[in-house]
Amino acid sequence: MPCAETGSRLEAYFDGELDALSAAEMERHIGECAECRGALEDLEKLRRSLRRDLGFDGATPELRSRVAAALDRETALDREAALDREGALPPPRSRLAPGSVTRAPAFWRGVIAGTGGVAVVASAVLLFAAPVAINPLFNDLVNAHVRSLMPAHLIDVESTDRHTVKPWFAGHADVSPAVFDFAAEGYRLVGGRADYFDRQRAAVVVYQHGAHIINVFSWADDHGSLPNDTTRSGWHLAFWRTGNLNYCAVSDTGWDELMKLQSLIKDAGDGARTP
Amino acid sequence: MPHLDAAHRFARWLTRSPSDADDVVQEAVLRAYRGFHGLRGSDVKAWFLAIVKNCHLTMATQARGRGYVPLPPETDERDGYAMVATTPGPESASIRRDEERTLARLMAALPDEHREVLILREIEELGYREIAAVADIPIGTVMSRLARARAALKERWMAELEEQPDAVR
Repeated sequence: MPCAETGSRLEAYFDGELDALSAAEMERHIGECAECRGALEDLEKLRRSLRRDLGFDGATPELRSRVAAALDRETALDREAALDREGALPPPRSRLAPGSVTRAPAFWRGVIAGTGGVAVVASAVLLFAAPVAINPLFNDLVNAHVRSLMPAHLIDVESTDRHTVKPWFAGHADVSPAVFDFAAEGYRLVGGRADYFDRQRAAVVVYQHGAHIINVFSWADDHGSLPNDTTRSGWHLAFWRTGNLNYCAVSDTGWDELMKLQSLIKDAGDGARTP
Repeated sequence: MPHLDAAHRFARWLTRSPSDADDVVQEAVLRAYRGFHGLRGSDVKAWFLAIVKNCHLTMATQARGRGYVPLPPETDERDGYAMVATTPGPESASIRRDEERTLARLMAALPDEHREVLILREIEELGYREIAAVADIPIGTVMSRLARARAALKERWMAELEEQPDAVR
């Protein structure tokens, strides 16, 4: 018999649209209902595949400059209109004063404040480009982290002993990262997991800090540049590189806590690296 | 305006044509610029995507008025794909690329209203309320439409994977 919870309600949970209480009920239910777990996995798989495969079709450089040029023309018209209203030719510099661009709200000022076409294009391209670029790695990492928080996904090898966790990776992941237990510092080693992203089997070391789970992903350095630390959907992602491995710690702890774990791992790695 | 990529992706799926998509985006940016004072609240992305949608509708109507019939989306790819294995195998980049095209093709074959909510939810990560605003439908319709769209896409995807479990390369 199909479970009554699958369908819109499960999807609302999956989409983060349930209130906290309903979400907690749903989580309990999912823990007991194999059908809903399977449906949830399918939803996740579809989403991951869609984001991975269809999420790159961003604006081309041609479109960016075209749009910027159109905006440039538009703001030039605005400036002329503003000058017409003032009824006299003001000194050149005031053409750029924010007050003269009467229709320009603060939101656009960064685009409009440029002096000529080139500057406007450059600033517009910067404005458009900087916050948008979807780095697929972010989605992969956040999705892997969120998936790990689903029941029975967090840990493949459960151990607080780093001498158990580290060798386990040798057989289950493409890399063998630094594994330490920082229980004394408040970051308890709870286990390890193999996860798949960026086209390789990444090793994940799982730490617990208070009520928060911190997944430390590690994968082989492809000599590309590492992204800057970022926050996606409420999860913090801290990146660093040690030796030939890239690391990323993902969690909903505060940045300070995440940074502390990062420096603990870095320091420990420096002291205890084995050939 | 930090949502040009999102606007372009959305326009691509609405218009199914790269050049039309660029036209729609350019028009939407100008409209957004002129109408910025009309923005309420902080939800810039949904507001901008709603403008993109409106631009698309306006321009599509104008195109019809001129008696212009858009060409159907590329259909000659279909036969080519049938020869390619789609067995899931994450280790192989080439297989992954095939999967990519499969999903893109299946998305393109979905009804417009299904594709729209899927893109807004899964790619652009809008919430139900925002999707309701962009698609101009009640929030209950967002939920049921999204469920139907996911079910439809999943069904076609599964069928596709089963159809060609061992296609020859």
